[in-house]
Amino acid sequence: MSIEIRQITKTFDQFSALTDVSFTVPQGELTALLGPSGSGKTTLLRIIAGLEVPDAGAVLFDGQEATMRSASERKVGFVFQHYALFRHMTVFENVAFGLRVKPKPARPSEAAIAAKVHELLGLVQLDRMAERLPSQLSGGQRQRVALARALAVQPKILLLDEPFGALDAKVRQELRRWLRRLHDEIGITSVFVTHDQEEALEVADRVVVLNEGRVEQVGTPGEVYEHPASPFVYKFLGNVNLFHGRVEGNKVHLGEFTLDLPAGTPAPAVPPVAYARPHLLDIDHQPTTRPQFRATIQRINTAGSVVKVEVVGPSGAVVHVELSQERYRALALRKGAEVYVSIKDLATFTAQNMLGGGI
Amino acid sequence: MSAERLPLTEPPFVRRLLIGVTLAYLGLFLLVPLAAVFAKALERGLALYWASVTDPAAVAAIRLTLVTAAIAVPLNTIFGLAAAWAIAKFDFRGKQILLTLIDLPFSVSPVISGMIFVLLFGAQGLLGPWLAAHDVHILFAVPGIILATLFVTVPFVARELIPVMEAQGSEDEEAALTLGAGGWQMFRRVTLPNVTWGLLYGVILCTARATGEFGAVSVVSGHIRGRTNTVPLHVEILYNEYQFSAAFAVASLLCLLALVTLAAKSVAERKRTLAVEPRSAP
Amino acid sequence: MTPRILPGFRLTLGYTVLYLSLIVLIPLSTIILKTATLSWSQFLSVVASPRALAAYRLSLGASLAAALINVVFGTVVAWTLARYDFPGRRLMDGLVDLPFALPTAVAGIAMTTLYAPNGWLGRYAAFLGIKVAYTSLGIVVVLAFIGLPFVVRTLQPVLQNLDAAMEEAAAALGADRWQTVRRVILPELSPALLTGFALAFARALGEYGSVIFIAGNLPMKTEITPLLIMIKLEQFDYAGATAIALVFLVVSFGLLLGINLLQRRVGIGRLEEGLN
Repeated sequence: MSIEIRQITKTFDQFSALTDVSFTVPQGELTALLGPSGSGKTTLLRIIAGLEVPDAGAVLFDGQEATMRSASERKVGFVFQHYALFRHMTVFENVAFGLRVKPKPARPSEAAIAAKVHELLGLVQLDRMAERLPSQLSGGQRQRVALARALAVQPKILLLDEPFGALDAKVRQELRRWLRRLHDEIGITSVFVTHDQEEALEVADRVVVLNEGRVEQVGTPGEVYEHPASPFVYKFLGNVNLFHGRVEGNKVHLGEFTLDLPAGTPAPAVPPVAYARPHLLDIDHQPTTRPQFRATIQRINTAGSVVKVEVVGPSGAVVHVELSQERYRALALRKGAEVYVSIKDLATFTAQNMLGGGI
Repeated sequence: MSAERLPLTEPPFVRRLLIGVTLAYLGLFLLVPLAAVFAKALERGLALYWASVTDPAAVAAIRLTLVTAAIAVPLNTIFGLAAAWAIAKFDFRGKQILLTLIDLPFSVSPVISGMIFVLLFGAQGLLGPWLAAHDVHILFAVPGIILATLFVTVPFVARELIPVMEAQGSEDEEAALTLGAGGWQMFRRVTLPNVTWGLLYGVILCTARATGEFGAVSVVSGHIRGRTNTVPLHVEILYNEYQFSAAFAVASLLCLLALVTLAAKSVAERKRTLAVEPRSAP
Repeated sequence: MTPRILPGFRLTLGYTVLYLSLIVLIPLSTIILKTATLSWSQFLSVVASPRALAAYRLSLGASLAAALINVVFGTVVAWTLARYDFPGRRLMDGLVDLPFALPTAVAGIAMTTLYAPNGWLGRYAAFLGIKVAYTSLGIVVVLAFIGLPFVVRTLQPVLQNLDAAMEEAAAALGADRWQTVRRVILPELSPALLTGFALAFARALGEYGSVIFIAGNLPMKTEITPLLIMIKLEQFDYAGATAIALVFLVVSFGLLLGINLLQRRVGIGRLEEGLN
């Protein structure tokens, strides 16, 4: 089932949680609602589920109006941030709940229910825990029970509210990959809410970036990361260096860099601001032909897949550079060394920098 | 340098003093009166004890107390559930007023609680003439006693349920709704089991008050022996007639009930605290 | 109007309001209605009569004394139960609620028998020349019994939830134990103490069943306000009884309001009230 969100607006007392939010979730895709706290993403998810009613706008499932349908009518599977497992029921009873409360005519026999429950518990790899109580399970296990419970009634849509928010980093990573594999196996249209951009970029087919109740950008993880539509998106996804600039004649000074302005570029109305991801910068011991500045290495962190280097420029500004492990070894950098920091790929840099200055 | 122990607790003699004072105070105020009741009850021997407790007037009083509780407690339990549901799960204007209204019977003296029913149903009362014309007896009869008891015990279940339901939030109910449960199914299968111990705690308090109420019932009862006396009133009558041993014998029944109440209360309280534990993952 | 997500709002709110109106509001309104039948001077003559004034003085005085006793000893008991372990602690902790669970009439006759001149405790008092039963002293004793749980149960959760780190910090900064208790712990307790005091005071004011046995009930001397109301009722002086009841209610409601405001300001959750 596809979902269309059309101009949803929601206000709580004086606080605007969502303003004119519109986008679509195609059938079968795993979409992430990504944004900081207060961006309205959980409110939006609850509106899709029918747990909140919007002040304006519409929610359509497969093109049909669903905005006024109650939560129980929408056939939506919802996984809560803190799982909301029924604490007095065993794992089995929790998963069986949705099947047992169906109206008599539609209700499967106990045997059929048991078979379905065990099938689902097998799917989430918790078959041996069927008789345990939620209090006897770890956070990750509870999360999987919540998922199985939501899937038991064969919903058309699966909604997850910060599913891994309450878990340890390692468990979070494992479960995140496991969720992706599960989604690929079942193929159900899914939407999940997260504030963790790494999670969204790693798991989702499509990312909706929200900020203060508005949609900043909708796109694939690659699109939002490499072609951010606004400064907010740029800053929110991944690390970033910020360069304040000023224009002088036919050159523009951005931080410590000096770039040539193409002929005929009008002077910008506001002082330009540029963003550069750490991996777009490079370090050399000798000057290069690219825009560069001299800097001193302040800190080197080699733990991880890339090497993170902090340098200090002449004005005292700190710039972050990321190098591959090979490059780092080739350079044999030391703390305190004097180096040249340059822009690796000018095209990408300028392409990503139409913000603020319109260079 | 030697590690000095921080003074994190009182010196031993202070501790012993405080414990001593506590034991003495509680012993004096709680244990001694309890012992006195049972001692006085059995002063004249077991035969008299038994006779006092099985005397027809006493039995009638016991029956009336039980009937009153059997009616008042369930009615106020249903009220408590309804009120707690409305207050804990929804936002609306006037919630604070509603809470204050529910608390009202707590702040009204028992005598006044009885008096208002006399003003309402008495011969000179608002509805007096109408009742007399239809030969309906509320005052000085069982219905009046039930109404007065109902008034006095209104807050008990609600006041215990509201904080429990508020602390548990609405997520479980929302989960049940997304799974397709209807309203009553959700209430029966999810809400009620979650509040069981809080509910029991409230019911225990409500029952204790309903069976022991004296002032309010005294005003509306008419003290007609064998007909409109509850057990506490019967105790009063016996005492005022100087039948001390009999009075204490019947009073000892109430004491036993109170002790059972206390025991049940501790159990329910402990389990209730467990049911409201915050839901973070381990 | 935004539809609500959870079902049953109108049903439960409607039932709640209906029930409260029938059982609580309408009966209570009779007080206003009845008092309205009195002229202002009639009202005053009843409410300010010497007998009524004596009853107010006694009720207020005895309740205040009893509540203060409960504050002092209640603090000791709550502290000991919350912080120390000793044989019989669990039993004592459970028993603290006895005055709340025990019917007032039983408490009344038990205390009277105990403190009568020839009673188990009264005989020692008589030895010292003190008369307890049938005097206002007896009333204070009984009211102290009734109010015992209020201070203890209000303090206990606060004591249990006290952050031990605070005491450790104070000790690490060089405070001795008494200083820590006085400057760090007691101030944390004072809101709860105030609430417990107010609750015990309010309860004592309205107490009837246990007091009438020990009081002696002499007008102008040992007659509490609820008894005065009762007597007027028995004499069919409904208007007089109502007038005094109204004054009494105004004072009680004032107290209730004060308690609620206090609780709101201090943020003591209702779950932690223990009793009431």
